[in-house]
Amino acid sequence: MSQQTIEQLKPQVKTAIVDLLYRLADDHLILGHRNSEWTGLGPILEADIAFSSMAQDKMGHALAFYRLLQQLGEPDPDTNAFLRSGDQYRCCSLVCLERGDWAQSVVRHFLFDEATRIRFEALEQSRYEPLAQVARKLRGELKYHTMHGQMNLDKLGDATEESHQRMQDALDRLFPHAMGVFEPTEWDETLAAEGIQPREAELCKTWRSQVADMCAESGLTMPDDVGPIYGGRAGKHPEDLKKLLDDMQKVYRLDPDSEW
Amino acid sequence: MTDTQWPVFEVFHQQARGEPHVHVGSIHAPDAQMALVLAKEQYARRMACVNLWVVSAEAILATDYEDADIFDHGTDKSYRESTGYQTTKRAKAIGDTAEI
Repeated sequence: MSQQTIEQLKPQVKTAIVDLLYRLADDHLILGHRNSEWTGLGPILEADIAFSSMAQDKMGHALAFYRLLQQLGEPDPDTNAFLRSGDQYRCCSLVCLERGDWAQSVVRHFLFDEATRIRFEALEQSRYEPLAQVARKLRGELKYHTMHGQMNLDKLGDATEESHQRMQDALDRLFPHAMGVFEPTEWDETLAAEGIQPREAELCKTWRSQVADMCAESGLTMPDDVGPIYGGRAGKHPEDLKKLLDDMQKVYRLDPDSEW
Repeated sequence: MTDTQWPVFEVFHQQARGEPHVHVGSIHAPDAQMALVLAKEQYARRMACVNLWVVSAEAILATDYEDADIFDHGTDKSYRESTGYQTTKRAKAIGDTAEI
């Protein structure tokens, strides 16, 4: 099968791609917003700047996916980001949770970016060419994000007794949510059959085995007897998201028609 | 003032292969690996960059500014300046820009 362009998409395939793009875009937007909350509050200046800069990158990656959605007839990026209610969002619970302490944010960043790396490696081969192009374009920035995540896991995993404990606590708490990144949807089979993206379960398996190795190397234990927390892909989110959206959308909603 | 933070690393930035690494500033980090990762966002997020070095500030041995007079030229040393050679022009003409 050759690569697919927008004009050639069958309606069912288009719906599946739109759903996938909303999941990708919303994950990146919400995590970008969450991580930006550290701006000015990071543990040291250097860590603050790096984390804030990566948060901006995530917003940029979200924008790339919202633009793909716009090409498929969905609303423009600003409307999507600022005028949808929580139940219209398709992000996973991992990105919704409040930022917690530095360990929680660093572990979330590590778990999410490893998941994204594995997904993007697959998406680079996607038969939906616009999506494959975006995955290839973002490869370098994501590579840095994973370097930063792995480095922090490695250092804080066994720096001191306290740092180890905080990192392990974060891992124990966040792991079920991180598995929720790979929540299966009704579109899994269509996306896999059309060569657009492998099944979520398949991506999750690769991620689990690689993340387990990285945790072990950092002196941490990946929980292996817990189940995933699902719901985000169906629009069911923790209460944390509502507060985030109230905050993020407040100014835009004062006057949606104003020119920025 | 005593520095109570992490050790200091000096950061050197290379804009293109073959160009010299230029000192752009310093960074606090617990070790060299972390310094390299953090230096990327401090010093290479806007400028073009192909390579970064970090060097422990402690590894640098420097002259004292009070000895800066050792660099003074007390007598005419213009004979040491390599101006006036035709070869400089010729080297430029053939484009001495091979990558190192």
